[in-house]
Amino acid sequence: MSDIKPAWSSQFDAETLRELSTFGPIGDITREWAWGDSTGKGMRVAIIDSGIEADHPAVGGMVRGAVVVEYDARTKTQVRYIEDPEHQDMFGHGTACAGIIHSIAPDAELYSVRVLGRDLTGRAMQFAGGLRWAIENGINVVNLSLSTSREEFFGLFHEIADHAYFKNVVLISAVNNVPAPSYPSLYSSVISVAAHQGKDPFTFYYNAEPPVEFGAPGIDVTVAWQNKSTITSTGNSFAAPHITGIVALIRAKHPELTPFQIKTVLHACAANARAVKISNPARKKPRPSKNRRRTNSKSRQVH
Amino acid sequence: MSAQPSADHPIAEELRRLVLAVQASGQAILPVAHDELLQTVVEAAARIFGAAAASIALVDEKNQTLVFRVAYGAGREEVVGMKIPIHQGIAGYVAMTGQPMAISNVQQDTRFARTTAEKTGYVPRSILAMPLISSERVIGVIEVLDKINAPSFGMQDMELLALFARQAAMAIHASQEYERLDQALLSRLKELVGVESETAQVLRAPLDNLAAKDDVLALAEAFSSISQLGDAERKMCLQVLQTFADYVRGKPRYA
Repeated sequence: MSDIKPAWSSQFDAETLRELSTFGPIGDITREWAWGDSTGKGMRVAIIDSGIEADHPAVGGMVRGAVVVEYDARTKTQVRYIEDPEHQDMFGHGTACAGIIHSIAPDAELYSVRVLGRDLTGRAMQFAGGLRWAIENGINVVNLSLSTSREEFFGLFHEIADHAYFKNVVLISAVNNVPAPSYPSLYSSVISVAAHQGKDPFTFYYNAEPPVEFGAPGIDVTVAWQNKSTITSTGNSFAAPHITGIVALIRAKHPELTPFQIKTVLHACAANARAVKISNPARKKPRPSKNRRRTNSKSRQVH
Repeated sequence: MSAQPSADHPIAEELRRLVLAVQASGQAILPVAHDELLQTVVEAAARIFGAAAASIALVDEKNQTLVFRVAYGAGREEVVGMKIPIHQGIAGYVAMTGQPMAISNVQQDTRFARTTAEKTGYVPRSILAMPLISSERVIGVIEVLDKINAPSFGMQDMELLALFARQAAMAIHASQEYERLDQALLSRLKELVGVESETAQVLRAPLDNLAAKDDVLALAEAFSSISQLGDAERKMCLQVLQTFADYVRGKPRYA
């Protein structure tokens, strides 16, 4: 029985949030440089969820494809892929995520990868199949509001997450807010997101004590829902698409950046990050020299 | 037919005594661990969150439904026993994904209103739904409805409800383990004695009829409440149980 872990989102509360230091050239990265004037044009963003209601006003007609991943025990990967011409959303949640992404990256192309079916059988395999589909179909950014807490799938999702990382596909994953591990959100190869209290869609934080790395709005946010409706909702699964939208902007403007460089740019642009001159003697609490060297070496990779 | 010698009977009696003890203890603990404890959890959750209502629904994997097991507050009587397909509504999404969710203007979620709220005659304004996770699987969903004096449930509410969910999941897990133990023991016994033996006949009738016997259940519940008092009481309860087993053993054979 695991101990109760601190709830992830509390790490982004004002009283617990730690200020970060960004050193050298990384400290020079600005939001303007990162995504200024970008609309996400040319980016292919997959939403692995309950489907997307394509004619919902919140997605602005940007749904360019929809696939349903169904469980099929007879196949090697235990799934089959079916085109979804009806663009259904089983619950409304996928449409909510798509709407958030579209509000941030209005020209990004949206792809619905529906992995929730009518029953519980084979969900993890459907989820894995959805990720594989995204990796193999030229998707640039993937939004994952789902996870599994089952240890038996740790290896499977780790392998897929690494595969995405090496294939230059950025995975953004909502962490679960219940005291249990959730995969793939806790892998270092993905960008994990929990909700913070703020409302500004472009204000996000980096958590100085991972595994959960980023905090974005996800509390009482008004989101798209089924049948062209909207609701007000709270959950980490609404925080992740904010970061997905921002990553789509960054990738559209800087297509040369790799997943780990994207994470560095996000870190530098986090609202709790402050640029620090390495030689600044006024710095009260210098970091251990080991960390400083590591940060410097990363800065060379970015530029 | 008497394939087995009568010398088997003491073994059969011993086995029957064991089964009685296991069943009695299981039945004694089940109501407390399952429905009563779950009822306590939803009541406590509703009171602490200042919610108008709360409920726990369990996943029925065979029928792919969520079955509302206990409820508290508005719409309670209509909610308990209600079944909803697992692919619908807030509770369905939470069960499917294992992700908690809070929603604060539910009327706009038209499908939810159609499938659940209209059945109960109670349409909540705000919902907080949390998965019940046991052995890495979602086994149910706990929901609290309509936070009083606030338009919606916040992240702190979500984190607090996770603790209630954990407690409920443990209670359900414990009772399911008992059910499994009970069934495993019965099936092993039937394998052991064989279907045609006299011993099986000795065993079968009391085993099959036991669950329906109100006096056994009433005794079991009494033992349960006594056993929760302390070690001395539990020892006394055990003695009573053994006496009870002796009493059952002394009854005329069912065969």
